[in-house]
Amino acid sequence: MDLNLNELLRQYHANPYEDHEICTPHTGIVTFKVTEGQHTQGPSGQWLHKPGTLLFILERENNPKRITAKCNGQVAEIRHEFEGKFAEAGTPLLKIRHRLTKDEIIDRILTEVLTVFPAPQKARYYLPPDIASQMEKGGETSISIKPGDDVLIMSLMKRDTLLKYEGMPGIIYKVYFKAGDLVEQDAPLLGICPPENVQFVQKIIDRIKNEWED
Amino acid sequence: MDAEQKHIADSGQFLTQLASRISYLADVIGDSRWYALDTLLEEVTFLRSAIFELPAKELFRRIKVLDERISILEDRAAKEITPVRMVNIVRSVQRFTLQDILENIYDSFTELGGEEDCNIDPAVVVARATISRRVKKKIYRHQVMVIGHEKGMGEEYRNGGCAKPWGNDKALRYMKVAETEGIPIHFFIFTPGSYPIEDFPGAAQQIARNIYAMSKLEVPMVSFISEGGSGGAEAIGLADMRLMASHGYYSVISPEGAAAIEGRIREGQKVPRELIEKCAEQLCMTAEDNLRLGTIDRIVQEPPLGARRDDYDFFKRLRFEMIKATDEVVLSTKSFRAFRAYALRRQVKKHPQDSTDDFGVHISWNLSDAEIERLLELRSQKYRAMGQGYIELKKQTIIDTSTLKDKTKETISRLYYEIKYGLLKPQKKNVQKVLQEVTGEGAAFLSNITEPVKAAVDFLAGPQEGARQYSDEAAQISIFNREWEQYVSPLANEDRTVSCPNAAKYGCLDLWVPDLYGEFCGVCPACGHHFPLEYQWYLQNLFDAGSVREFNNHIISGNPLKFQGLDARLNRDVQRTGRKSGIITFKAKLNGIKIVVAMPYSNFRSGTFGSAEGEKFIRACDLARTRRRPFIAYIHTTGGIRIQEGTLGVIQMPRCTMAVREYVDSGGLYIVVYDNNSYAGPVASFLGCSPYQVGIRSSRIGFAGPRVIRETTGQDVPPDYHSARNALMRGHIQGIWDRRDFRKNLYDALQTMGGPNLYYK
Amino acid sequence: MKKERVLIANRGEIAIRIMMACEDLGCDYIVVYTQEDRHSLHVRRAREKGPEKRIYRISSYKDPNEIFAVADQAGATAIHPGYGFFSENFRFARRATLRTRPVTFIGPRWEVIRDLGSKINTKRVAKSLGIPVIPGSDAPIYSEIEAEALAEELFLQQREQGITSPSILVKASAGGGGMGIEEVKHLDTFRRIYRRIQNYAKRQFGDEGVLIEQCLTDYQHIEVQLLCDRHGTVIHFGTRNCTIQSTGRQKRVEVAPGFDPSVCNYSFDAPKVLDDITNYSVKLAREVGYDSAGTWEWVVTRDGSPYLLEVNTRIQVENEISACISRIRDREDIPVNLIREQIRAAMGEKLGFTQDDIFFEGTSIELRIVAEDVRRGFAPWCGTITKFEFPQEPWARLYSHVPMDKPYDIPTEYDPNLALAIIWGENTEEARERAASFLLKSTIEGKTAHDEPIITNLAYLYDRLEDVLQF
Repeated sequence: MDLNLNELLRQYHANPYEDHEICTPHTGIVTFKVTEGQHTQGPSGQWLHKPGTLLFILERENNPKRITAKCNGQVAEIRHEFEGKFAEAGTPLLKIRHRLTKDEIIDRILTEVLTVFPAPQKARYYLPPDIASQMEKGGETSISIKPGDDVLIMSLMKRDTLLKYEGMPGIIYKVYFKAGDLVEQDAPLLGICPPENVQFVQKIIDRIKNEWED
Repeated sequence: MDAEQKHIADSGQFLTQLASRISYLADVIGDSRWYALDTLLEEVTFLRSAIFELPAKELFRRIKVLDERISILEDRAAKEITPVRMVNIVRSVQRFTLQDILENIYDSFTELGGEEDCNIDPAVVVARATISRRVKKKIYRHQVMVIGHEKGMGEEYRNGGCAKPWGNDKALRYMKVAETEGIPIHFFIFTPGSYPIEDFPGAAQQIARNIYAMSKLEVPMVSFISEGGSGGAEAIGLADMRLMASHGYYSVISPEGAAAIEGRIREGQKVPRELIEKCAEQLCMTAEDNLRLGTIDRIVQEPPLGARRDDYDFFKRLRFEMIKATDEVVLSTKSFRAFRAYALRRQVKKHPQDSTDDFGVHISWNLSDAEIERLLELRSQKYRAMGQGYIELKKQTIIDTSTLKDKTKETISRLYYEIKYGLLKPQKKNVQKVLQEVTGEGAAFLSNITEPVKAAVDFLAGPQEGARQYSDEAAQISIFNREWEQYVSPLANEDRTVSCPNAAKYGCLDLWVPDLYGEFCGVCPACGHHFPLEYQWYLQNLFDAGSVREFNNHIISGNPLKFQGLDARLNRDVQRTGRKSGIITFKAKLNGIKIVVAMPYSNFRSGTFGSAEGEKFIRACDLARTRRRPFIAYIHTTGGIRIQEGTLGVIQMPRCTMAVREYVDSGGLYIVVYDNNSYAGPVASFLGCSPYQVGIRSSRIGFAGPRVIRETTGQDVPPDYHSARNALMRGHIQGIWDRRDFRKNLYDALQTMGGPNLYYK
Repeated sequence: MKKERVLIANRGEIAIRIMMACEDLGCDYIVVYTQEDRHSLHVRRAREKGPEKRIYRISSYKDPNEIFAVADQAGATAIHPGYGFFSENFRFARRATLRTRPVTFIGPRWEVIRDLGSKINTKRVAKSLGIPVIPGSDAPIYSEIEAEALAEELFLQQREQGITSPSILVKASAGGGGMGIEEVKHLDTFRRIYRRIQNYAKRQFGDEGVLIEQCLTDYQHIEVQLLCDRHGTVIHFGTRNCTIQSTGRQKRVEVAPGFDPSVCNYSFDAPKVLDDITNYSVKLAREVGYDSAGTWEWVVTRDGSPYLLEVNTRIQVENEISACISRIRDREDIPVNLIREQIRAAMGEKLGFTQDDIFFEGTSIELRIVAEDVRRGFAPWCGTITKFEFPQEPWARLYSHVPMDKPYDIPTEYDPNLALAIIWGENTEEARERAASFLLKSTIEGKTAHDEPIITNLAYLYDRLEDVLQF
């Protein structure tokens, strides 16, 4: 397999940051709870049950909702003009400069290695219930699939369509979406790895783990 | 070896003893620098290393000085044994353990259910043992079952005497063996508390099963408490005679735990020492306190600083006390009063103070059926009466004629029900038996003859209430006609929205509060999450309109231990709720079925159980029994035993379980429904023992909360650890009910489990 | 009515029609939209109206909290729910009325929405007024004996009516949307099916109540359009025939009036049936104190027996074909607009005319133009529309949120309804001919992400024109 791992890692080393734009999930009046430059923390705890840093409060219909950070990083930009003001749904309010973690780097590099199942259309996607429950029990990499298997449910205009896998037989190595997410066309949904490549993939993961410091 | 050489060699041993005395003192005081204990220890270490270098004379002199100083300190310490120091004594590694008792008190023993670390639970030791007494040079041996906690001598696997749920299950298994074999049980309690995990069979559920079984176990039981940590102690604590070590403690909670709660100490912060000491005192956890409160029967005296592994005199005394206590339990069941008095007098006279192993009389520990019945009767009476002197009743300044009338009515009706169900029961049984035999022979032609008899039986048994067909009125008329006549929670009176805690997972929309607490009954329509509702909602919506009749409102929560600050908190809750205890007991109807309900609720001391709550629960249970009505424990919330009542709270566990057991044994249908939060003591006894337990959706059920689990086991538990769903998965409850179907489900449960008479016997 | 500000809590062509009605009445409006709809014409039109802030982006049309938050922020005095979404949600209407800052809900009183929203309740009230409803139970049945007796009776009745293959439906009373319904064709199999449904209902809804009714197979779907105000005026605007539907029971072609004996042969007295159902509808509306625009849905079987199905307490998509054939005496020059009248009624105004002022003229046909693959079970199509052209005719009106001047991506979150065409003719024949020619002159072009051409139902609509009003 052709993969210039060194080059990829060099690129990520050169710019290991990613800006996350935080938007209002719905309308409401905004009260910021962070300042520029402040470090934020994502959800923590063994079950990620402790919410991340409080970013702002969005009050709608007398319900002040706490909007917390989903990732570690540093607050880069705050749109102060919204302080105390009504914001519409999906209004960008602040940016978090997030340094990619080891696991994220691995995920990204693996899209180059794995056979990717891309989204055929912009739609909502789900895993079929049997795969989802098997994954819950046996972990993410416990499913092996072969051509002709139903591997995804695409939900479009209230209609569900089963999608069949057409590629090489292999195991589902990575799921790139959360159930019910709206996924853009051609964005990766699944990363599949043929059994004979598992070792190779593991090697890459080990190398990245060695060379990337969180 | 000459004398001096030997002397020097002995000194080495003596120095080791001195070192252990010093470290024991440090343990007891809880401070290794108390009166320069640390320098004393340094001196010992020095002498030990220099034993052959120093001139013998110098060595002996310095040892003597040391010995004297230590003795003085020991005397001083013995005079100042505070409750906290008692706790320290009990926790010292030098204290005697069950192993020492087995070796020194019993003649021979065989450990059952595992040994050492090869054991289902090394914290619980069970042994079949013999104990012997000498009567005029003749030796008599008794067979007994010994069940207790083994703290071990520092071995990790003993878990400090914290029984795992399956350890308590082991204990129960061998209690039943003893029952089969008809031999007494000696319990030895050395536990700081049970290991608070929910893995099957579950800490609380298993303790509940143990207490339930012990309440009617058909053999004499004697328990001895050295370290009695709340629920863990009760798991093997319900006995006919309860002894306690003079330096032991028996408490509802560890002083540190109480201090953390009282001082509202955040997790990870240090609890101030003064607060711990204060709590230890207030909790009334010493042997003397417990004897005064009546939660134990007798104290076994220890040496001034507490008994250690080598206090053989103490073991002798304990052996005597265990035999004597067993004798007394056995003798109390003999109908032959004169013999009883004689035997006891003789024993006392011959051995007024000291324990020897000559008892002067042999008493067989086997019981006849009649004696067993008496044993159980006495046990029942004992626990019924326990701590009753501390129950507070509302003083009635004006003679209320209506209550007087009620009282008379109550007496008359009680009499009526006793005659109806009590006296006539044997006859009824006989008639039924005959009937069964007749029909069993298939003699159809006899029906003409038996029919009138059967009619008489039906008459005596009362109309078959349960057999009536249920048709919900709501189904007949539009639901809308009734909707706004119903009780609506005051929570609904606000124009605002709230978010469902499952919104991230299921995408639930924010809920408008008037919808949520009105029409939706506090249930998220998208995911079914139940928001807590006040207990009044249930009073109004669960039972037939206007059928709720409260009783025993004159029993009020008090402060029997004069725990500082409790009075003010009780007052505040009385002001806030307009009620006087944390439980409401009432009669009610459900689609016409008469039931009795006990309902601890959240707004009053978090629904914790103290003496008043326990007594109200027991009386509700009794009422259900005499009236032969189904008994429902609806747990709106219970936070456990009210710690400020100390062991007076703890004994509500065996007391209420006894009442429940007697109700169920008499044929009663006992259903427990958990809502919101149900934790600790009550779940680990009179609730957890119910054959039918269900949870309302989104409720949490368990033994100890996440923080206590973290602090005792060092492990984090997932956020849904105590969820009803997990409780169902573990087999602790039998089902999960939706609040909106509560009424219907309860009715169905009464119908299916209750049978035609709503009473299985 | 200048001071009113109406928040339009809907999207697509209905949002546009409500805007037009507001403009007609001279009241201001506010528009909400979601990210996916940002290119919709309803947003553009509001933006072009003037500099004042009129459009608000929300997270979902289905979240009432968003609507009320925007209503307060924008100072809306009333909310028009359109159809779908909150139009028949009595809780939404109740909240609008009871909140600290009340907003007028443009629709009936919430109590009316609630009471008529329950089919069982509607059936019971109708029955008590002597209005025919589909024979069967009017309350959930819990007892098997009762159920069997009713089933037997229903079979007997059908035989007496000369129905050769009678059948009944067994439904879970708590169910809906086609779940938990089975047809019983032989009385012998009833018990087994009844028990199956009962178990299903118990398991699925926690309530084992079951409904039993006659199964009608051969019928026409007729509607009566009503308009009432808060002062007791009840006026009907004739009938419509909405029998032509997709497999998913979505209406595709509607005609007003409901029957036309001049072009079709009916085995019954069609005008009398239409009169009857209109009178019945008015009777029920008076009984419940109906106070807005609404539609009474009926089925009429081949022998001319009408049965009340349900009441839709909202303005419907097809309202305009009724308006199109209606004339109000002395205001013949102003086209009837039911949405406008509905808003006026909600604001508490009197309608200002009576039933006697209403007369009818001609036939009107509505065509629902949808991007769907009729041959594949009406599967929705999505992609980009590149050309969207319709003929301009004095007898045709077209409503669409799809811009005609630039490519438009059909949002995948919503149904791919593209446009409504309303055709009028002096008689049914002319209306049908005009509709056909309109369809032939319409052009819709576009392609999917994979470059496949657009699929619409234009041809299907053309084919179905023949079936209009026919039994």
